[in-house]
Amino acid sequence: MAVDEGSRNYEHPAYDYMERMPGLSLAMTTVDKVLEWSATNSLWIFPMATSCCAIEFISSAAARVDIDQIGSVVRPTPRHCDVMIVAGTITVKMAPRVKKLWEQMPEPKWCIAMGSCAISGDFYRDIYSVVPGIDTVVPVDVYIPGCPPNADQVLHGLERLQAMIRSDRAGGGMPREERPETAKMINPENRRVGDPERDPSLTDAQHDASRNLGVGANSDRTRDARPIGDIAEDEAADVRGSVDDLEEGA
Amino acid sequence: MDIEDYDPDADLMALNMGPQHPSTHGVFRIKLILDGERIVKAVPYPGYLHRGVEKLCEKLTYVQITPIFDKHDYVAPMTNEQAINMAFEKLLGLEVPQRAKVLRTILAELQRIASHLLWLGTFTLDIGGTIGGGASLMMYTFRERELILDLFEALTGCRFHYNTHCPGGNRHDVPEGWETVVRHVMDTIEPRIDEYEAICDSEIFLMRTEGVGLISPDLALETGQSGPVLRASGIDHDLRRDAPYHAYDQVQVRVHVETAGDCLARYKVRVAEMRESIRLVRELLGLLEPGPIVGSKPIKSLVQFKASGGQVYVGIETPRGELGTYLVGGGDQRGAAPYRCKIRPPSLHAMSVLPYVLPGHQVSDVVTILGSLDPIMGEVDR
Repeated sequence: MAVDEGSRNYEHPAYDYMERMPGLSLAMTTVDKVLEWSATNSLWIFPMATSCCAIEFISSAAARVDIDQIGSVVRPTPRHCDVMIVAGTITVKMAPRVKKLWEQMPEPKWCIAMGSCAISGDFYRDIYSVVPGIDTVVPVDVYIPGCPPNADQVLHGLERLQAMIRSDRAGGGMPREERPETAKMINPENRRVGDPERDPSLTDAQHDASRNLGVGANSDRTRDARPIGDIAEDEAADVRGSVDDLEEGA
Repeated sequence: MDIEDYDPDADLMALNMGPQHPSTHGVFRIKLILDGERIVKAVPYPGYLHRGVEKLCEKLTYVQITPIFDKHDYVAPMTNEQAINMAFEKLLGLEVPQRAKVLRTILAELQRIASHLLWLGTFTLDIGGTIGGGASLMMYTFRERELILDLFEALTGCRFHYNTHCPGGNRHDVPEGWETVVRHVMDTIEPRIDEYEAICDSEIFLMRTEGVGLISPDLALETGQSGPVLRASGIDHDLRRDAPYHAYDQVQVRVHVETAGDCLARYKVRVAEMRESIRLVRELLGLLEPGPIVGSKPIKSLVQFKASGGQVYVGIETPRGELGTYLVGGGDQRGAAPYRCKIRPPSLHAMSVLPYVLPGHQVSDVVTILGSLDPIMGEVDR
């Protein structure tokens, strides 16, 4: 029996064998409860902190609110973490990095969009350099609206995520939050980047660039969002080129 | 030793620091060329938080721009609002009543304390790290910062991004009993700053900061430094005293100057500024007399207020230095929107010193120097 890596049910071939052993199913239930308890109460957070919401996120990790009380600690590297909290505006220059950091996180992983910039781009959404919502780049599980959300709302968001994980482990599947409705908050005359009836001032190249960022990936909600395309290649070449620059004596 | 002196076969290494790094205060990337552990060359790459704010300002009316200015320097939004609103007032020729002037000064000084508290916490976090004990002081400074944010929340309803200023005055008058709470908070914070000073007894802290990141007075002037970075290099310059705005001409601002120019001097300047701000807040509370909080023109009439041409520059002293706002009025064609809005952020100039200061230091000094400059990337990239 092959391991289905796409499955979200945490099944393992060993379970199949163990279930046939007498008395083990009771032990399995107990073990599963322990696993669930440990999974929901040790959500290590990778802060993808770019702007204003980062300050409020630090406040939530500081003395008054203290997300440590539900076992969430902040780690600065994606390889240790379960939850990525995107706090702040994501620009077109930063989005490939966010995508790369998201891919470095081990499964199972979850993403929280904190603040209206991460949710929809807020009033920067019509600006040429801003990604209109982080869910166009990586799949988002929990949305915490606000500009910025208060520190205790971050705690509430993490508790919502815990409830989702419990539901998922119980076999109910991962209930995802819908993106908050923001269409009514903006001027309808301002077309958002990637909109089919797009802003006529955008060139084709700019429009394609926003497409390549995965605008619309939110609808199918796949775990693996689309490849970023040319931008990621350019950035990778940039990093590789830094050593080449050195050899040229730059 | 300069990079040109190395032969091409030398064993140099390029190290990219950032844009995702816990000590870069946001998203900042710097490329370091290393000879072993020693930095030979440093090339900063800003722009990971470029939000096109100056372009956005050209689409909006004067009153709509205020909340956007909150988000530049998100550690000190109060002073940013004041900068843009003072520019509007100068452009539109509006008078600010005395009570609003004093209230703005109080808010600016409270914001300075909150901003420096946040800086102190994150600076020790940069130096010590979570496990090295840096997180202890961060927890303490955030405890005090929350007290000041509570004051702002009582006044405006927001923890930050207040939008409490408008052209010609303030939107929110102080609630009843606010002054008493402010005095109480100042009494609470003042002895605790003495407690923070115990960090100077730590030999490790002194070794990490003393003599590190020297900025000479010439270099500081050449790169356009302002605020605590300039004053730590021995240049006595403070816009609050030298070009008074708000109610700063009614109080005496004592400017603290250090001559060493290293990270420890910048620490000392900021801690002294916190004490000075507490003194100023107490003094200014006595000047807060009853009266109108907005000017003669009601706010609603300002929404569509059209400025004729003309250009203004207003510079104020934010916690990070001189924040300049250059504004060109829209005239008849642009309606209620400005023609051009240019921001002179103090953090950008503070960051521009890095390529000159970093060579010769160890890799671990990068976070110390970067932290002591107190840059906010929202301001740098705009």
